[in-house]
Formats: sequence, C-alpha cells, structure tokens
Amino acid sequence: MSALPRSRRYQIAVPLALFIVVLAWWHPYAVIEGVQRAGLYAAIALPMALILGIVGIVNLAHGDFLMLGAYLAYWFAVHTQGDPLVAILPAALGLFLLGAVVYRATIKHVIGSSELSQLLLTFGLAIVLQQTATLLWTSQPVSINTEYTSTSATIGSLTFGTYGFVYVAAAVIEFAGLTFFLQRTRLGQAASASGQNPVGARIVGINVDRVYLIVFSISLALAGAVGVLFLTRHAVFPLVGGGLTFKSFCLAAMAGLGNLRGILWCSLILGLAESLVSTSKEYAGWADLIFFVAIVAVILVQSHRRQVT
Amino acid sequence: MLAVRGIDNYYGKLHVLRALTIEVGRESVGLFGPNGAGKTTLINAIMGLARPARGEIVFEGRSLLGLAPHQIAHLGIALVPQERELFPLMAVKGNLESGAAHIPAAREKMKSTMEFVFELFPILKQRLGQPAGTLSGGEQRMLAIGRALMANPKLIILDEPSLGLQPSVVTHLFGTLKEIKQKASILLAEQNVRQSLKAIDRGYVLENGEIALEGDAASLAGNEHVKRSYLGL
Amino acid sequence: MAFPLYAGVYLQHTATIILTYLCLALSWDMLVRTGQISFGVAGFFGIGAYSAALTALNLKLDPLLSIAVGGLAAMAAALVLGLTTLQLRGMYFAITTLALTEIFRVIVRNLPGLTGGPEGTVLPSAIFDGDPTKTYWLLLAIALVTIAISEAFQRTRVYFAITSIRHDEMVARSSGLDIFKYAVFVFAVTSAIQGIVGASFAQQYAFVSPEGTFDIDFTLLPIAMCLLGGMHSTLGPIIGALVLGSVAEYLKLQLPYGHLLVYGAVITLVILLMPQGVAGKMKEQFVREQ
Repeated sequence: MSALPRSRRYQIAVPLALFIVVLAWWHPYAVIEGVQRAGLYAAIALPMALILGIVGIVNLAHGDFLMLGAYLAYWFAVHTQGDPLVAILPAALGLFLLGAVVYRATIKHVIGSSELSQLLLTFGLAIVLQQTATLLWTSQPVSINTEYTSTSATIGSLTFGTYGFVYVAAAVIEFAGLTFFLQRTRLGQAASASGQNPVGARIVGINVDRVYLIVFSISLALAGAVGVLFLTRHAVFPLVGGGLTFKSFCLAAMAGLGNLRGILWCSLILGLAESLVSTSKEYAGWADLIFFVAIVAVILVQSHRRQVT
Repeated sequence: MLAVRGIDNYYGKLHVLRALTIEVGRESVGLFGPNGAGKTTLINAIMGLARPARGEIVFEGRSLLGLAPHQIAHLGIALVPQERELFPLMAVKGNLESGAAHIPAAREKMKSTMEFVFELFPILKQRLGQPAGTLSGGEQRMLAIGRALMANPKLIILDEPSLGLQPSVVTHLFGTLKEIKQKASILLAEQNVRQSLKAIDRGYVLENGEIALEGDAASLAGNEHVKRSYLGL
Repeated sequence: MAFPLYAGVYLQHTATIILTYLCLALSWDMLVRTGQISFGVAGFFGIGAYSAALTALNLKLDPLLSIAVGGLAAMAAALVLGLTTLQLRGMYFAITTLALTEIFRVIVRNLPGLTGGPEGTVLPSAIFDGDPTKTYWLLLAIALVTIAISEAFQRTRVYFAITSIRHDEMVARSSGLDIFKYAVFVFAVTSAIQGIVGASFAQQYAFVSPEGTFDIDFTLLPIAMCLLGGMHSTLGPIIGALVLGSVAEYLKLQLPYGHLLVYGAVITLVILLMPQGVAGKMKEQFVREQ
C-alpha cells in the first residue's frame, strides 16, 4: 500500500489541477459532474483494489455484489416505504456475511491455484449472481426516487445538483477508513503483511486464511454499502455490475495494483474525461469507451516499461 | 524440546526425507548437508509449511503435525527462511514489529526485544524507516533474524543464513548466534560447515534425506568424512 | 454426420447450433492452452457477424465470401488487441476481453448510418435461401476445419510453444521461443474462427443487432462447455459442446431467464470440484480402475 514518491505525486497533481481549472472555466458543469462521477468510481473501485492488493485475486464478481447491495436496499425501500439509505448498514452486514460464506465455499479453494482458475471462478460467480438477480427481480431496471437527491446549489449563475457529492464523501471516507485499518490496526497490518508476502505472514504467526476471509468480507460489505448509495441516484438492473467491475479494475491497474491513494487520482482523471465526453452533444454515446481506452493505454505503458527494464 | 521422529516426505515421487529422526534440546544444533539433501524440506515440515507422509514431530510435548504455520509460530518456533520472506514495502520498523505483533506473549515485550535486536544488529536501527525491499542482502538477512527474535521464540530455526553473503558479514552473523542462544534454542541449517561448527554445540549431517552422521561440534570437526566433503581438507 | 439427410428440420437446426457452439468452444480452448483466457468470444463473434452482414448488404458480396470477410475482420481486431495486451500477465488480457463485447456494442450503437444502430440491420435473404440442410453442411465444414486446426496446434511446434508458455514461462523464454508471438498468432487464428462462426450465424438468420449478436451466450456457453468436457484438449470441448449444446436449447425453452444460471453454476462448480473437467475426471477414474 505504498504511495507514490512525493516528486511523482506533484508531476501528476500539478498538471491535473491546471487542467481542472481550465476545464472549470470552459465547461463548469463537466467538472462538477466529473468530480461526482470520480467519487462514485473511486468508492466502487477501492474495495476491489483491496482484494486485489491483499488476497491477490481479481474479483470479477465485484460489481455484481454491489448490484446485490443495491437490490437489498430497493427491496427494503419498497417493503417498508422507508428511505433506502437506512439499508446501508443492513446491506453492508449482509454482504459481509455473504462474503464470509463465498470465501469459505469458493475463493479459499483457488488461493494458490493458477490465475486462470481464479478468473474463471469469479467469472462464474458473477454470472450466478447476475442470473439469480434476473430470476428474482427480472431484467427490468428499478430505481427509487427520494427528494433529497434533487437538491441543488447556486453559485453565481451556476446551478447544479449537490447530491452527487455524497459519492465523493463516500470515497474519501472509505479511503481514510481503509488507510487507518491497514496502517493502524493489528488486523490491518496483518492484512498488509499477508498481501506483501503470505509465506512471511504465516511464519510470523498470522492466520493468513482468516485475514483473507475478513478482507474479502470487508470488501463485499463496502461494495454492498456503495451499492445502496448507487441506487439512490441510478437505475439498477441485474447486469449493472459488469461494467462497474471493469471500471474498477481499470482504476486499480492504472493506480498500480494495491495502491489505494492512486485510485482517487485516477478516478478523478477518468471521471473528468468521461463527463467531458458525455456532456458534449455529438459524442455523448462514446463516453463508455473512455475506460477501455485508458486500460489499453495503461497496458501499453506497462509493457513498454517492462521491456525497458 | 523439539523431537522429530521417523518422518518421511515425498516431493512428487521423489523420496526427500527417509525415516528422519533429530532432536533439539536447550542447545544450538547444526544441520549440514549438500544442496537438495532435504534440509529445507525438514524445516518446512517442522514449521507446518509441508506435511510429512509419516512420522511425528513433537514440540514441548505437543504434536505439531496438522497444525498450521501460524499456530506453530504461536507455540514459540520462529523461522528465518532461506528466502528471508520479509515484507518488502514495509519499513524495517514495521517488519520487526510484525515479528511480535501477532504473538500475544511477544507483544508485551516488544520494546525490550527490539532493543536486544538493535544491540545485535545496530545497522537496523539506522535503517528503521527504510522499506525492507531496499536493504542490501546482508541487511535483509539481519532483519529476517531480527524479526524472528521479536517473536521471543523458544526455538529459532535458521535456513542457510550465510547464503549469498560476504564472508565478513557471515562472520558477524555467526558471532551473534552465541548471544541468541542465551535466549532461545537454535536449529541452524547450513552448507557453510566450517563457520557453523564454531557456533553450534551439536550437529547432524544430512545426505539424501537420511542422517549420515551425528555428533558434537568437536567430533564432527574431527570426522574424516566431514573433513573431506564439507571442510575441503 | 450424414444424418441430416434423414432428420427433420428441427433436428438439423439443433445440430447446426451445436456445431456453432462447438467451434466457439474449441477455439476458446485453443487460446486457453497458451495460458491466456478470453472473455470476448461474443465480441469477435459479433464483429464477424456485422462485417459479413454489412459487406453482403452494402457491397453486394456473395454470402460465402462475406463470411470469409467476417473472419478476416475478427482476425484484424484480434491482432490489434493482441499486440497491445498479450504482453502482460493474463489478468490484463482477460479483463480487456471482458469489456470487449460491450465496447463493440457501443461502437455499433453509435454508428447508426453504417450499422443500423440499436435496431440492427436486416439482410434481404438468408444464406442458401434459408435451406437448413445446406446451412448444416456449412457449419459442419467449419467445425471440421476448426478441429483440424486444434489438432494441428496439438501436434506441431505450436503445441510445444504454447504448452511451455503455460507450464513455465521461464523455460519457454530461455529456449528462445518468442512466446508473445505465438500467443498473438493463436489469438488471431481463434478469433478468426469466432468471426467466421459469427458471420455464418448472421447469414443464417439474415439479421444482426447489438443485443442479439453480441449476446453473452456466445461467451458463456463455450466456456461452460470446455470446462465441462475438460480444457486443454480437442476432445474435451467437443464432448462438452455435444452434451451442453443438446440441453442448451431445451433449457432455453424451460428456463427462459434461468438457463444462463446453469452455465454460471457449471463454471463455478467445475473449477471448484474437478478442474480437469467432467470428461477428464471420468477418464481419470477409468484409467484408475483399469
């Protein structure tokens, strides 16, 4: 979980800040929308990066667990006529427990297997989750409308929705919480150690299997909670998770596997780029390609770097 | 303290350990033999990283078979692996703390044990904030030993600590074993027999997965086979 | 194999579908043998389908020729993608292909002038004027070629190259094999097969659409088939395709929403319980009992 060296951090931060200032002057809505999107993407990607960095597994079902959290909140809101946000804690708890079960029953058995088996297993899980959701709730998108999601603010001549910043807050809280967990708690330190060297972790007395189970469950709990937030502003349908899994992986790869702080920066860059394209009239439909272009670029840069070294 | 009795181990169809029996009391014991003799396999079996096909391993009256490595670590056995197995992104301090943090009995004595480690390896104190991955080979070896000591073990197992190190560093390292012995029993697996014989009380020579020879340091040093095969005399 | 002469239209139709999946499954497995895993079968299938449909429609290309064009288009796309992404660890490639189907769908949707956009495009007539027997022969021919390629990969230098990639990258590197080159080559060939199959599919139904053509079925079923039959062989995917292909149509009718769940469960369970596949497991048991 190392951060970038200070000098490189400035190399990224300064041009990015300049870019945002110029963009804000030229196209303020795109910046507001972009920052909100970035918050959402970071909030979704952080738990996936946690599993990737510590358990070392690409969880291709990540977005689908998020979808499950969102449906739990939907079900809760419909049955109780209550606010879906109340379901955050139950959804997180439910997914935490589900995470423990899924880890025990499946993931545990492919730790140390080939990457191929791991990818196929989590792909299979993703399909199972998607199709179970289709059977339970049909493929029709569902959404919940609450009043507070349409709150807006006005600065000068600029009026914009403020609710989207809840995702920025979620991402920041998540990042701070995970950083605190990994650096300051004994369990978190054990998790960092297991991520860096599982053999080393075992011989210093860490129960690596238990650490993996807890990390996997925490990741799912976070995904479930973010899923509830997701529902308050987006339509949810059984296949909604696939794209989110892909975007999360892009961010994790771009940031460097295991680098949580980098995910915040990379979300900001891609969130802005995406909102810039989608707020333009002619090219809005192409916004979905941004992450794909980004991941291909990341792969090219990394393979180039590997050839150089 | 530690008794290994009649263990057999296979690697695929290869018979790596044959009815192997060794014992370690409150002493320092050497385990010598060429590459591939089965030293690391034996150590892995003791530490729970490999499961022997037959035999028993008992530590202070408790069978270790079937226990996971972390449970064995909790019983008081610390390993300094050949590959060191440090946490490369973690600072030296974090690596040392990790040695004690997950073993309740060691956790309480963390501060004083760390002082002891710094006395043995002062260089680690200077490198305290540096990530372990950026240390030199010798420093990494010292850190691995330091981390093992942090667990306040009853038995410390060192797997080829001299591997890849400069002679001067090796001499220093083996010099610290006497002080380490004040705190814990030692099982030292080595190919560098000449240096090791100065640091141990007793030793076994392991060849093709079997004990070829055993005796105290002086008798091993005087043995013709040892002289010819391991001391190059 | 000559049974369509006696069989009814429904059976011919089912057999054609099984052959379609057989080709997809076998081509997917050929790439798996290099240690790379693709989730983009439906993507290349769709590229082939669209290329064939559009060239047949706009350039008035002969249907069979348009099928060849479909294969070439898929191969070209695979070459571009393979040259960029196959250099890194498998997971980067896998994830990229995972997104591929969606990406092609976005492109197709956003070029309505060319592709018909979200509604898709209809061809004036199906290949062989919709004769199911001739269509069956066509798919059989494609399947036989696919099997031949798979066997060729198993028996030649390519086999040595790709198994050594899978087993030990270091050995492959030190023996002077350019494993990257081989991986790209296999990826291009297998994608071409998927493109040809997709193109035949488009010609057969005279219709392409973003949702129907880039359908996840075309990725999911082949993978489930290979796992069921056993990966890393020619026979495994064939067995898997025959078994799962024959029940697939039935499942689709019985469980219009749930049939994909079965495939997801098959993939998960096979990985957990018998990574060598059901057929491989049975073979192992057979050998043990002998």
